[in-house]
Amino acid sequence: MKRIPSSIPASADLAAAPPVSAASAPGRDAIRSTVLANGMKLIVWPVHNIPNVALYNWVRAGSRNERPGITGLAHFFEHMMFNGTARRRPGDFDKLMEAQGGANNAFTSDDVTVYQDWFPRGALELIFDLEADRIANLAFDPEVIESERSVVYSERRLCVDDNNHGYLAEQVQAAAYVAHPYRFPTIGWPQDIRSWTLHDLQTFFRTYYAPNNQTLVLAGDVAPEEAFALARKYLEPIPRQAAPAAVLAREPPQLAERRVVVRRSAQTPLIQYAYKAPAAADARAPALSLLLSILVDGDASRLYRLLVEDQKLIIDIGGNWHEGFDPALVWLYFTLPEGAEPEAVQPAIDAELARIAARGVSAEELRRAKNLVAVSFWKKLATIDGKAQLLGEYEVFHGDWRRLFDAPAQFERVTAAEVQAVAREVLDVRRRTVGVLLPDPELELEDA
Amino acid sequence: MSTAYALTHPSGGAVQVPAHERVVLPNGITLLVVPSPEVPLISFHAVCRGGPLGDSQPGLASLVAGLLDKGAGARNAFEFVDAVEGAGGSFTTVTGTEALSITGQFLARDQALMLELLSDAITRPRFEIAEFEKLRARRIELIKAAKDSDPAEVIGTYGRAMLFGSHPYGKPAGGSEASLASITHRDVLDYYRAHIGADRLILVFAGDLDIAALKRDVAERFGSWRKAGVSAAPVPEPVRARGRRVLLVDSPDSAQTYFWIGNVGVNKQYPEHAALDLVNTLYGGCFTSMLNTELRIKSGLSYSARAGFTRTAAAGEFAIRSFTDTENTATALDLSLQTLMRLKTEGVTTEMLDSARAYVLGQYPLNFETAADWAAALVELEFYGLGPEYIDEYAAQLRGVTLPVARGVIDHAFPNVEDLVIVLIGDAAKIRRIARRYGELTEMALTQPSFSP
Repeated sequence: MKRIPSSIPASADLAAAPPVSAASAPGRDAIRSTVLANGMKLIVWPVHNIPNVALYNWVRAGSRNERPGITGLAHFFEHMMFNGTARRRPGDFDKLMEAQGGANNAFTSDDVTVYQDWFPRGALELIFDLEADRIANLAFDPEVIESERSVVYSERRLCVDDNNHGYLAEQVQAAAYVAHPYRFPTIGWPQDIRSWTLHDLQTFFRTYYAPNNQTLVLAGDVAPEEAFALARKYLEPIPRQAAPAAVLAREPPQLAERRVVVRRSAQTPLIQYAYKAPAAADARAPALSLLLSILVDGDASRLYRLLVEDQKLIIDIGGNWHEGFDPALVWLYFTLPEGAEPEAVQPAIDAELARIAARGVSAEELRRAKNLVAVSFWKKLATIDGKAQLLGEYEVFHGDWRRLFDAPAQFERVTAAEVQAVAREVLDVRRRTVGVLLPDPELELEDA
Repeated sequence: MSTAYALTHPSGGAVQVPAHERVVLPNGITLLVVPSPEVPLISFHAVCRGGPLGDSQPGLASLVAGLLDKGAGARNAFEFVDAVEGAGGSFTTVTGTEALSITGQFLARDQALMLELLSDAITRPRFEIAEFEKLRARRIELIKAAKDSDPAEVIGTYGRAMLFGSHPYGKPAGGSEASLASITHRDVLDYYRAHIGADRLILVFAGDLDIAALKRDVAERFGSWRKAGVSAAPVPEPVRARGRRVLLVDSPDSAQTYFWIGNVGVNKQYPEHAALDLVNTLYGGCFTSMLNTELRIKSGLSYSARAGFTRTAAAGEFAIRSFTDTENTATALDLSLQTLMRLKTEGVTTEMLDSARAYVLGQYPLNFETAADWAAALVELEFYGLGPEYIDEYAAQLRGVTLPVARGVIDHAFPNVEDLVIVLIGDAAKIRRIARRYGELTEMALTQPSFSP
């Protein structure tokens, strides 16, 4: 991320679950989309409640597109895209945008890199100019590259080296895959961050920052035709490139549980489970999202209630599904109190996960999960930022932004039997990687 | 820049407080209602004055807040949260510097349930002893977990403890491992009776509301509730730190040094708050701020460098926050101090002020997009006794900020480079000698069960 620390694990929590009666989402009939001659797609949702616009540019490039030796390069680009072009010096992008009232950020996941701008409507043309300029004319100043390497390294120290959750997740992710590039940490392995070459950068940029590999979404105080006209002026002249080579790697079936144990300076031990799960566009997606919600979403969720409230074995709990282009992982993470033995806690977690696979979920649990999903959908739709994000997620990961509005009905239709079926398939101990972080007694002695 | 299009004048920022109702109930509850039917959601924001100001031990108010929804009225802890989440709702208790808050959001169809849950939590909490013990134990462990993995977050608590000392703003609002351990169930009951009551309560509802039903339910459920046992005490103005003091918090395996540099700033009533926002945007607020330019953009020393003011009833802190590789600790600290010195001596230019003005104006409307945003904004106005003009006239105030006004803010609100409290979390064996250069040094271990030596 350009400014805000990466989520943990590094895979972004994309494609947040939508829900009930979104057919009536106000203003959806005004959404328009077009494809420029160079293959770049634009989607515009005009909303006029505040005089501002949110822009999301989805670039189909993530750590999935890397190889050993250049891990972290997609994320490094996320930083370099703010660092000057043939027309503008490093820093001008931010200075010009701020001087017109705009702010920006970006994030990188295993699958995509997403650039975000939030600005007053008067800055619309400047934003198109700035976005087109960095796609067409990005500069690679060696001094700037070196400086930005240090910034990224500092980000890595913050999110991984000095963060036990991040450190363990990186190890678990690396162990969970043997063939697929999803094993690479999005932030990059330390030695790779130090050693990318200018040639690596130029090749990656030419391949993945082609206009035909990007989707631009705007929501807010803008007319679709106005945005399309500016896109034709600024973005359409950027030449199309050959489509990037498809990622052909397929992870072979996992046959037995894998286990990673790390010892770190810590007071509280950690456990992480990473199960092999389907891709974002899989038909089981709504059932799997609801399963995860039933397990860990809120204080009434299964695992929270059992492990935190009743048995007091765990002090914090979380989970997420990496919804990617390819089959990825469902994560569950647990923070234990000081002095707890992970080996003594794990059987309680496993028993409950086995129970949900064997006996399924109650009607009340399913209702709760569907309602939580419904409210989170409406909360997102209440802002121009949420609208731009959701449209982009559905366009990029589900093939068509219109599917956003079908999702609520799909979630509503999920039955308890389908949730149980997906629990049986996904929560299989043979197909998981377990990470354990133990406080290192030797490190403690050194401290004393 | 040579472009074909005309740069528009800074626009935006012209936000107006929406039509709303304000009623004070006979028992002292202030009720605010903001209708906004765009999406089928309703939000509430309930604030009780005092919060940690009434703590006999740091963390007491925060435990009370955390227990309000752990069993209330006819529901035990699980039944309560099940009712909230079963409806897809949210119900969050928050401990601020000088208030306890509950915020939440529900589907509009569940308004009656929302009112019932909110009033039960506030007026009929059960405070069961088992729930108290469980929450207290868990909060202690969560502090340890935060110290393990989030130095950039916990550093502010060390900073405020060092800066404010025995002033209420120096106490950790969430408590420390040691202070939480000393709190008893009796303390919780005593706090609730003394510091939570109708005369301290502000209730704001916003969204797709049934207003007639809302008023009826509020009158029925809150109308005859008691007042707090004692009245909220005013907060004394803290005294600015003189000279330099350094706290080094030892985290032996830390890859970076995390630092916090601060002093007492200004309070919520500060008349030049628009100018303050502009100057701080330039100094440490936006991406191209002086601080981020030096520590990130030009030198690559850090992923992030920011500064800001916490403005509360009395003056809160001004603080610079950043981090860097252990071996660059001195370089980053020196640059931070030099940047502050540059602001103090050279000030800002008209061009800088214009840019910050456009930036703040352009981003301002994004703070007021949803009904929940307005609930939060109106609570703030009511809590601090600010009129709607605080928001309505903000854009005009920003436009009126001149160089001399900015100069005054720099002189008055930003600390002198000689007068600072500096907190470092890092590998003491490697940075102790460096830390000593910046002022009188105190040391403690990160694992020590408190936020001050």
